Amino acid sequence: MNAEIQSATQTSEQLDLQMLIETIPAMVVCALPDGSVEFANRAWQEYTGGSLQQLRGSGWQTAIHPDDIRGFIEEWNASLPTGKPFAAEARMRRADGQYHWFLIRKALAVSPNRGGDSSLRTLIACEEIDERKQFEARLHQSETQLQAFLENSPSMIFLKDREGRYLYANREFKRVVGITEEHINGKRDNELFSGEQASVFQASDRQVLEAGETIEFEQVTVQKDGQHTSIVQKFPLFDADDEIYAIGGIVADITERKREESARRYIEESHRLIVETASDAVVSMDETGAIRFANPSTMRIFGYDPTELIGKPLAVLMPEWMRKLHDAGFRRYLATGQRHMNWQGTELTALRKNGEEFPVEVSFGELTRDGHKVFTGFIRDISARKEAEEKLRASERTLRELTETIPQMLWSAEPDGAIDYCNQRVLDYTGLSAEQVRGAGWMKTVHRDDIETMSRAWTAAVSSGEPFQQEFRCLRAADRAYRWCISRALPQRDQSGRIIKWFGTVVDLHDWKEAQQALQMTQAELARVSRLTTMGELAASIAHEVNQPLTAVTNNGSACLRLLANRSLDPEVLRRALEEIVADGTRASAVVARIRAFIKKAPAETSELDINEVIQEVLALAGHELHKNQVLVECQLTKALPLVRADRIQLQQVLLNLIMNGIEATMGVTVQPRALSLESRIDESGNVLVAVRDSGAGLGPEADRLFTPFFTTKANGMGMGLPISRSLIESHGGRLWATANSPHGAVFWFTLPAAGENPS
Amino acid sequence: MSVAPVIFVVDDDPSVRSSLRFLLSTVGLHAETFDSADSFLHKKPSDVPSCLVLDVRLPGLSGLDFQRELASRDIRIPIVFLTGHGDIPMSVRAIKAGAVEFLTKPFRDQDLLDAVRVALDRDRARREQEKEVADLKRRFDSLTSREQEVISLVVAGMLNKQIAAQLGTAESTVKVQRSRAMEKMHSASLAELIKMIEKVKAPSKAAS
Repeated sequence: MNAEIQSATQTSEQLDLQMLIETIPAMVVCALPDGSVEFANRAWQEYTGGSLQQLRGSGWQTAIHPDDIRGFIEEWNASLPTGKPFAAEARMRRADGQYHWFLIRKALAVSPNRGGDSSLRTLIACEEIDERKQFEARLHQSETQLQAFLENSPSMIFLKDREGRYLYANREFKRVVGITEEHINGKRDNELFSGEQASVFQASDRQVLEAGETIEFEQVTVQKDGQHTSIVQKFPLFDADDEIYAIGGIVADITERKREESARRYIEESHRLIVETASDAVVSMDETGAIRFANPSTMRIFGYDPTELIGKPLAVLMPEWMRKLHDAGFRRYLATGQRHMNWQGTELTALRKNGEEFPVEVSFGELTRDGHKVFTGFIRDISARKEAEEKLRASERTLRELTETIPQMLWSAEPDGAIDYCNQRVLDYTGLSAEQVRGAGWMKTVHRDDIETMSRAWTAAVSSGEPFQQEFRCLRAADRAYRWCISRALPQRDQSGRIIKWFGTVVDLHDWKEAQQALQMTQAELARVSRLTTMGELAASIAHEVNQPLTAVTNNGSACLRLLANRSLDPEVLRRALEEIVADGTRASAVVARIRAFIKKAPAETSELDINEVIQEVLALAGHELHKNQVLVECQLTKALPLVRADRIQLQQVLLNLIMNGIEATMGVTVQPRALSLESRIDESGNVLVAVRDSGAGLGPEADRLFTPFFTTKANGMGMGLPISRSLIESHGGRLWATANSPHGAVFWFTLPAAGENPS
Repeated sequence: MSVAPVIFVVDDDPSVRSSLRFLLSTVGLHAETFDSADSFLHKKPSDVPSCLVLDVRLPGLSGLDFQRELASRDIRIPIVFLTGHGDIPMSVRAIKAGAVEFLTKPFRDQDLLDAVRVALDRDRARREQEKEVADLKRRFDSLTSREQEVISLVVAGMLNKQIAAQLGTAESTVKVQRSRAMEKMHSASLAELIKMIEKVKAPSKAAS
């Protein structure tokens, strides 16, 4: 418009500018260079409703909206001295007081005005742009709305150009990818994602470009928190020429939904599995009493295939006599809601397909679906349990019979020790009646000499709760003879540990005892043989030991005889020789005496002995053997030990055996000093303890068998030494055992009760 | 031989030791006693005729082991064994290994003294023989190397002519060397010379 005005002014100076301006359908104001308005055309005046007078100077500007005026004037004033074109948008007041948007422009014009006075004029043209403004506002609003939708969408939304450069990505997209706006625009997929993923994305982009239409597919991507499944829609955007200029995409993450779906499926599957695999039969029926469902166990329990039961009445699963009861109860329940039986674990009788009746335990559940009731029964076959119960009852019966028929005397007693039951065997053995045995009546059968120890032992057991065991002589009714018996008893306790009953046995061990005594005699003989064997092993040593003094005696004697023959025997020399002869003779006889004492066959003769004394005697007996083998003996004998009651020779035998073993054990040893140590002391129980330690090779893997008769590690051993030693020690009430010695070798230990403790 | 012999007694029993010393003294023999094989081995070897009276059963090293030990040390002393409880295999072993006698305790005094005498005689003979060989060796060593050569060939049974040919010299020269060597060896005849050279050359053997 401005251009039109100018050209018109320049081309026809004849035209009256004012006339021209009047005819322009725009609002025009002509101003002088100082900015004061010279005139305004009619359009202007009509719009503003103001007179020309009011517009003069800068009066025209009063029509501009107060909100717009300040910025407008600044720009206006700035443009005046430059003479440059000017354009601004502002609201102007119409005559009715309403404001409308105008584009206000300024142009310079040379005007040959009246009287040939040609001067510069400023033309101000105002064009109404209200409509455009309104459109612009609407556009802005709709853009904002769209933006809001896009940004707040839970889906990832993006726009790429044909080359795959991102033009836009919404907040969700940026959140998932983890980048900001400035980083995404202009980037391609291969700059944002792994190569593999990017090529997948780009492939679908190409698909869209080729197809020229929306494609939709499911896509799996790997994100920071794991694998995600999404539904993707990609679509082309067309320009005015119907050319694709961009690709849009919407990615909806359905991972969570998938997960829920699979969880629901899992639960359903589990429930189905439970029912399918349940060992109980599960049967559902509807309100008419018809079976709607039966699980596979129904086959096993009832013999019906689940499918053949569908539609049949539930009553087929019960015996005839129950059916009426069931029907009546069921109808009443449907009518009144009143149950005719317990729904949880009721024992009933069921009927198999083959007509067999069997016990079951039934539980019911009820479910209303779509207004209809469905009843589900869980039916357990309890015939096995019933059988087991019956068996238990039978076994109780058997046990009762057993106690009466077992070839052993049994009894029981109250916690206070009063006998309350004896089996028939006891009565047969003692010849007493059940009544007579009760309480303390049984004491009548105990030998007079044993009554006191017996009752003391029983009283002690009853008060302490310790197991009871006592040997006593019992009068057997059959031959009126007292026989050795042993009675044992154990307490039965309740959960709090209180004794509620004693159960005991009586065993006649008379014959066994006699056999035992015979065995002991055999053992004594065996011990003597073993002693002789040990002596055989010692013989070489002993011969040497006896021959030494004898040699000295004969040498001295011979020498004296020779000197006497030469008549050159000095009495002093003779005296010395004779002294030596006497000493050596005495020495020889002592050795012989020791040996004789050891070999002689003597019955066990117990006396109170000092174990240390016995140890010294045996060391003297084995002295030469120790010396010859260069075995050092170290003694740690505790002084003033209690005496032990024992057979001296037997103890000597045991010790000699252990020492000889010890010497032999050290024979293979070359490096360490060959040492044997003997120790005597009191152990924790007050018994006398003796230890024989060697520094030999140790017990090795055969330690367990050491005490087995005829087991030997020696080339010429009998394998009787240790078993006999053990039985000798045990016959004295002691124990004999072996352990490993540290750092090497073995220790053989034995204990003997102190004499004061066990006077028997 | 005027040197007084010595009897070494090894026994772990003091009574036996002293009674043996007493017994030996009655025939004028001097005894030195030891309580173990070890203490005997620690003494200086004697250079007078001597023998060993040894108990078979000794603490530590047994008598038989001790005998072996002495042989390995080249100590060639005759041994009389004593035993308190000897058996035949043991005595056979001892005698085979060169023992003079094996006596069971208690023994007759005369048996011991006889055994000791035999042992001393044996030791004396050995010592004399060793002395003679040493003497001959000394004489042989005094020969020049050419004389030794000639003598060796003579002993091997070669004639003077043959020897001269072998050594590349005149027969007369060999004759002179031979007679000079015979003179130095104090040998009157060729037969004697051959015996002498045999003794010198023979490896020294135990005199037991």
